[in-house]
Amino acid sequence: MIGSIPLLARWEWFKLRRRWMLWILLFFAILFGQLAVWGQYFSYNTLRSTGGEITVPAALQQGRIPRTLACNDLLSSDPAKHPTDLDAQVLAGMTAQCRQQAPAFPARLERAYQSFTLPGSMRTALNIVQGLALILLAILTASAVGIDYGSGALRTVLTQGTGRWTYLTGKLLTLLALAAAGLVIVLASAALSGVIAGNLIGEAPPSAGVVAATYGDIARAAGKAWVSLLPYVALVTCVTVFARSTTAGIATGLGYYFTEQIVIALFSTLFSWFENVANFFLVRNITAWTGGGTGGFTVGTLPDETQALIVLAVYGTIFTALAYWLFERRDVAGATGAG
Amino acid sequence: MLDTPDVTPPPDFVIETADLTKRYGEVVAVDGLSLRVPRGGVFGFLGPNGSGKTTTMGMLLGLVHPTSGEARIFGDSARHPATLKKVGAMVESPTFYPYLSGRDNLRYFQGVKRRGAPGDIDRLLDLVDLGKRAKSKFSTYSLGMKQRLGIACALLGDPELLFLDEPTNGLDPAGVVEVRELIRQLGRGERTVILSSHLLAETELVCDNVAVLSRGKLIAQGSIKELLRSHDTVRLRSTDDAAATSILREISWVEGVRADDGYLLVDAAKERSWEISRALAQRGVHVSELTPLHRSLEEYFMEITETDPTTGRAKS
Repeated sequence: MIGSIPLLARWEWFKLRRRWMLWILLFFAILFGQLAVWGQYFSYNTLRSTGGEITVPAALQQGRIPRTLACNDLLSSDPAKHPTDLDAQVLAGMTAQCRQQAPAFPARLERAYQSFTLPGSMRTALNIVQGLALILLAILTASAVGIDYGSGALRTVLTQGTGRWTYLTGKLLTLLALAAAGLVIVLASAALSGVIAGNLIGEAPPSAGVVAATYGDIARAAGKAWVSLLPYVALVTCVTVFARSTTAGIATGLGYYFTEQIVIALFSTLFSWFENVANFFLVRNITAWTGGGTGGFTVGTLPDETQALIVLAVYGTIFTALAYWLFERRDVAGATGAG
Repeated sequence: MLDTPDVTPPPDFVIETADLTKRYGEVVAVDGLSLRVPRGGVFGFLGPNGSGKTTTMGMLLGLVHPTSGEARIFGDSARHPATLKKVGAMVESPTFYPYLSGRDNLRYFQGVKRRGAPGDIDRLLDLVDLGKRAKSKFSTYSLGMKQRLGIACALLGDPELLFLDEPTNGLDPAGVVEVRELIRQLGRGERTVILSSHLLAETELVCDNVAVLSRGKLIAQGSIKELLRSHDTVRLRSTDDAAATSILREISWVEGVRADDGYLLVDAAKERSWEISRALAQRGVHVSELTPLHRSLEEYFMEITETDPTTGRAKS
């Protein structure tokens, strides 16, 4: 029985790779990773050419729209580069701010450079994609599990003697392997972009002693990001099997992600004790486990890593056990027709 | 002394159920079904809509959990995956992955079943006349084409036991004849085909044995010839119907006598018609007309399931 799981996983891949959805979701994961890397590239260019920017509030310029001034212009000895429409006192204040920031500027510039060149470009992409991956994988999971019910093909599958739990295990292992492959592809594309962007930018800024992320750090972060996906996949599988519907799975995957964060933000401001309760919520612990890099907003102090891992393990176990129990126990009928 | 090898003979029955019951709340879909299907041949599984045929098939295929009782295929638990590897099935409407082509659907199901060779797929597609549309997506198939793909899928891995639930649904007349001939061929030799169909005339042409379900209960089982023979009727007209009725009711092998539209209908084997005639003549009642009635499976079915032949619905 267990020996048939790799084979079932292989044939799950046969089905999945023929669906547009898989490739569209992968495209979005790569796209967001690339946007993050190239966004940092353009930020670095701006930082280097302006020497940093200072925003002039509306109150200091007779109610006009706030605007930014380049520190390179303000600190320039050439008066032609100084803005002429600002009060001398305001201008002096802005210039002082730029002077104040100047010592930290080399480190800022170096950090910006590291964020889009190897290996930092991979960390930048990962920071964006690990939150997005929860949603993308939720969609893929709900779709891969739900189509068996919607089309009614589950009945045909089970009459082939696949066994129920082995079939579900093969499916989930394929999804988790695809999630890992997706992360690797995103990191590889970010690495490639890092090489290209590094060559485009030319010389690196002078070293300011900023410690760069290592390949080991990135591998560890990617591993943690992958682990954080497991309980979420279990949640979506459980709901999809329970409702026998792709739509229910996707709605839960998307809805829960945002709802939990809104609920925490809202109730934490109303009740001081709520933060303690929230520390046992799923997405909050995913955020804590991945070091706050899920793209969600956080309120208060996140739980520590150990607690986060335990909470995620408990959620993962409960949802997985429930999904298997339902899948084994339920009678299988024809197509539900549900999306 | 010679050692006799300990070889267990294959079971004579490919399917055995004992007191198999399925309840959905208050509704009893299958009620204490004890069924035995002999190895080889085509076995008809008959019953009106809602009689529990598909639920029984579901329990035999491990899709539906019985509330109580037992179902065995080849002597093993029906839910055992290894048992199902030897089984092919098309239950109700064929269900496949809509985004895969007909060929890819078969490749997938052959892959997960782990039986058969790659060449089987093209052979089966040709067998069900889907070779030209093998690359089209399943979602673009007509009902008849879906049905043909369902039959091809059921035949993957050359199963020893084949369940076909309404296999001719959606097929044109030529297709019905083709599938009928195919089922006949499949039922030759050691393979057993379980055929569930509403087309009783078709079933009569194809099946060797049948089981009839009504309201979840098994109400008849056996070879078609025996079942129809057990319900033979001889129609006669006599010189004195009242006397003839009383004489015939004294005969042990006459199961019943009733008057119908100027005739007497005698429930007895048609081979004994001459004995009926002789018995009446010996007691001074003469027969002016005597006709053994041939009853079709459909008539038999309507009678035992208490279905009104004019409306096709259960008699109240």
